[in-house]
Amino acid sequence: MTPDIVETVNVAREVAWLPWAVQYFFLIGLSYGAYLVSLPGLVFRRCGWEGISRLALLAALVCGLTAPVALLADLHQPGRFWHFYAYFTPSSWMSWGAFFIPVYLTGLILYAWLAFRPALARHAEDGGRLAGLARGLAYGGHESRKALVAAALLAFIGAALVALYTGVEVMLVRARPLWHTPMLPVQFFVTAVAGGLGLALVFNRYLPDGGDPAATRRMAIALALTQCAALLVGAVWLVLGMSGMSPVHAQALAEVAPSANWKVSAVWAAVATVVTLAIALKRPGSGLLIGLLALHSAWMMRWTIFIGGQEVPKTGAGYYSYQLPLGPEGLMGIVGTAGLWIFLFVVLTTLLPLERIGKSGATGA
Amino acid sequence: MKDQDPREVSASRRAFLRGIPVLTAAAVALPAPALATHGKHHWAMLVDVRKCIGCQACTVACIQENAVPEGSFRTVVSTYSVKLTDADHPATQPAGTYMLPRLCNHCAEPPCIPVCPVGATFKREDGIVAVDGERCVGCAYCVQACPYDARFINHATNKADKCTFCAHRVDAGLLPACVETCVGGARIFGDLNDPQGELRRRLDAAKAEVKVLKPEQGTEPRVFYIGLDERFQGKVEGQGTLWQPRKAHG
Repeated sequence: MTPDIVETVNVAREVAWLPWAVQYFFLIGLSYGAYLVSLPGLVFRRCGWEGISRLALLAALVCGLTAPVALLADLHQPGRFWHFYAYFTPSSWMSWGAFFIPVYLTGLILYAWLAFRPALARHAEDGGRLAGLARGLAYGGHESRKALVAAALLAFIGAALVALYTGVEVMLVRARPLWHTPMLPVQFFVTAVAGGLGLALVFNRYLPDGGDPAATRRMAIALALTQCAALLVGAVWLVLGMSGMSPVHAQALAEVAPSANWKVSAVWAAVATVVTLAIALKRPGSGLLIGLLALHSAWMMRWTIFIGGQEVPKTGAGYYSYQLPLGPEGLMGIVGTAGLWIFLFVVLTTLLPLERIGKSGATGA
Repeated sequence: MKDQDPREVSASRRAFLRGIPVLTAAAVALPAPALATHGKHHWAMLVDVRKCIGCQACTVACIQENAVPEGSFRTVVSTYSVKLTDADHPATQPAGTYMLPRLCNHCAEPPCIPVCPVGATFKREDGIVAVDGERCVGCAYCVQACPYDARFINHATNKADKCTFCAHRVDAGLLPACVETCVGGARIFGDLNDPQGELRRRLDAAKAEVKVLKPEQGTEPRVFYIGLDERFQGKVEGQGTLWQPRKAHG
């Protein structure tokens, strides 16, 4: 059918938040999600969580150190990052975010150092790789329970603020109905925790013995709970949009409903979540698969929201069509971030091998 | 009829010739005080859609005046092919063309300002929303926050860019380039606070017909439209354009 209106001349606005931004939101989400997974074993000393919590802390650290670089690269004037601190603007959540990130990272680095000090000292004693550096970093290798809890608390405050600002900053953009829903920060949070669990599960799988089966099952159950939460949040979003009870959700739905691409994305996301949930419940030992699925869902959700969201014109008809550029504005942003992540992972696991971190019996705190 | 004294003719000619520079200077100088004084003006634009012929002269003038990089636009005339109903045009032609000049709306409540994390976007006393290029970090938060797709990242400067109402021209007592060049006289620029000015008079005269884009956003645009079809007031429902400038020009 011929439409009543055909746009013949108009501007197609480019995507302004690049794949770098997707990487940032993905990695910072994984970081605070994994940080939360580190708490049961390291701070609350829950039985059976020690090894997996230390692996989660490593995940939080690697992702947390990589994420700000992606954020910096998303600025079109990265050399001016200091303007965030020189010209603080309280009305902007992004401006607050520039202060929340260092709070989180300071707490996280301190927490990780205090948690890994004894293991670093043992690694040095055993004459492991980079033993000298490990010995220096261990700085005696003492366990300092109170300091660890204090650092974890600082990291918790930072993580909560980061989770809050990353969600609200996007949610406040009224010009994009898809982003402007109160459910968005919740969706970010739930998928971030699932991703954090997923990455810890992947690390766990690569332990020499394939990871502690009991810990894997425990994590699978936790992951299943996040998938239930994700399905619930998605269902509430859909019901609010379809019923018209909430005008903002109805507007968000109306914006993407006519698009075949969006329908595919929605079905894909729902199926991926259901499959993850089903496998986590039926085969809780398959940590690697469900871990990768959770990571995939966390990344895809952010890609769809950010890149897909910017494909919806604010005034023009139809949709813009995005093609991933191969240079720094596109693919290289993703590859570059992944490269930095791998580099940091290699450095950290050389200093402190994965099996030493994940050893379930080891006292790290 | 009385014969004219040749000396009188020559005297009046001399007076006329002497007067030319004065007249010229006055013509140049007159609008200047009215346009260039700060603090008293509130600049705005009225777009009479009925007069727009879709020639894109404004688009080109803006690009030339502001060195807008290829593929980017501070203003453009969105053009639509609209199916005509029998009542509109009984069985003579299937579709008509609708033109809608778009630009930054220089909103009274601009959503781009509070989101800027470094205070680079600001509103001048005369109502013009501007970007401090020395401060902008190119985070593009303002690009996201603008409901009119009026902002973009300038690839030559790597900073947020948008229509400034040609502030540099306005400050010098000139009209914005798009207004200056508008063939159909569709763009009227002026001071909202000047009751005798053309803008105010035209707005007052057309009160009921005056509309803004996306009024529900609460941004209170300072770009007004006459002849704005409701179907084009928000996001247009229809088939999107296949023409994408950056792709077309590589």
